[in-house]
Amino acid sequence: MKEFANAKENYDSIPIPAELPDRVQAGIQLGKASYRRRRSRMIRRWAATAACLCLVLAGLNLSPALASAAANVPVLGGLFRVLTFVEFDDSEDGIHYNVAAPEVDADSDLAKKVNAAIQGKVDQHLAKAQQDWDDYREAFFATGGTEEQWGDREMDVIIDYEIKSQTGDRVSFVVTFAEGWVSSYEERSCYNLDFVQNRDLTLRDFLGEDWTAVCNAAIQQQIDESRDADGFTYFFPPDQGGFTTVDESTSFYVREDGAVVVCFPKYSIAAGAAGNLEFVIQTPEG
Amino acid sequence: MTKEEALTQYLVDHQTGFYRLAYSILKNPDEALDAVQTAVCRALERQDGLRDTGALRTWFYRILVNTCRDALRHRGREIPFPEDLEPSREDPEPADDTLIRRVEALPPEMGMVVKLRFYEELSLKEISQITGQNLSTVKSRLYAGLKKLRVAMEGAEI
Repeated sequence: MKEFANAKENYDSIPIPAELPDRVQAGIQLGKASYRRRRSRMIRRWAATAACLCLVLAGLNLSPALASAAANVPVLGGLFRVLTFVEFDDSEDGIHYNVAAPEVDADSDLAKKVNAAIQGKVDQHLAKAQQDWDDYREAFFATGGTEEQWGDREMDVIIDYEIKSQTGDRVSFVVTFAEGWVSSYEERSCYNLDFVQNRDLTLRDFLGEDWTAVCNAAIQQQIDESRDADGFTYFFPPDQGGFTTVDESTSFYVREDGAVVVCFPKYSIAAGAAGNLEFVIQTPEG
Repeated sequence: MTKEEALTQYLVDHQTGFYRLAYSILKNPDEALDAVQTAVCRALERQDGLRDTGALRTWFYRILVNTCRDALRHRGREIPFPEDLEPSREDPEPADDTLIRRVEALPPEMGMVVKLRFYEELSLKEISQITGQNLSTVKSRLYAGLKKLRVAMEGAEI
């Protein structure tokens, strides 16, 4: 219809945000991980019925991230292992739970402390998700939604983790807490542990005494580089809640290649469109 | 190529189209990005529901459209704009305004059918599968939409 030619042209020229590919990749990764866990759970159910293989399987890690992690750990003589302590994939009352939370298996106070912290966050996330869902359902019907329209809608509650790097005595991993429904809420917690010294590792351990200055310079440079030709960036100016400095509470993880990656929560120092806010900081040796 | 590979390839190759559709429904870049990410995630999670890779587009658009609908509804909860809940039955814009703006001013479900038909160039049958409405509802929404837009329908292929 020729009347629409102009309108379609206008539609086809809707600008595409630069972070779209990253967001699509994030969706693909989350979706694939969730699909695998769903399947692995089915396999385990079958195994449990067929024989008591499940004892072995439960000890091993079925999620791909974990399987690769387990492969890197010496089976005997290691100081620690990171295992999935709770894993379930089930729907209840309209909420689809897809949970694989880690536990550090080591005989140390550090492991106890970290496990308790993770457990606390898991409980908190599940409670929050339930509350969000209840609120949403209430609002849905209060604003005239019908049972038919409600249909089989589901909310996804996802807890997952990824081991970013590990050596014989150190590990760095990130736990992701996400809700997937009308919006994708996501929160991440980073853990960097040293089992010889029995303590959390800090940015100072990797970057030396000047860690604040090193981080700040690298982050500022990456923010500056994010500007497009018109000088636009999703990062807020410092006086409007943007980045000023890293401190003891700043999250980070360590990559396999040794690089330190500093993370800020989504929305904290940039518009949501900027996605996960990560900055690679090269270590002095690296 | 496995089904998952075909699906992943499709999602990567056509992402700009997904974003445009989400943006045209939600009118907000952040929400459109969230909707695309969520829909992509759901598609992979529920890939077993995809029986025929030939019907990939219709299957995925349905997920995307439902994700956008959820976002609209959620927004209704967070920022109450009572006047938006009950769209005006009057013609939204004067006829001399551009067609683009008049399409944007249509009630959401009607606008969606018009956009899917003329921007995404989908058939009525496909639109019916995507929106979960039966064919006659889609037809009547499209006609009503065009009437509101004051677009001449004579001889036009709808």
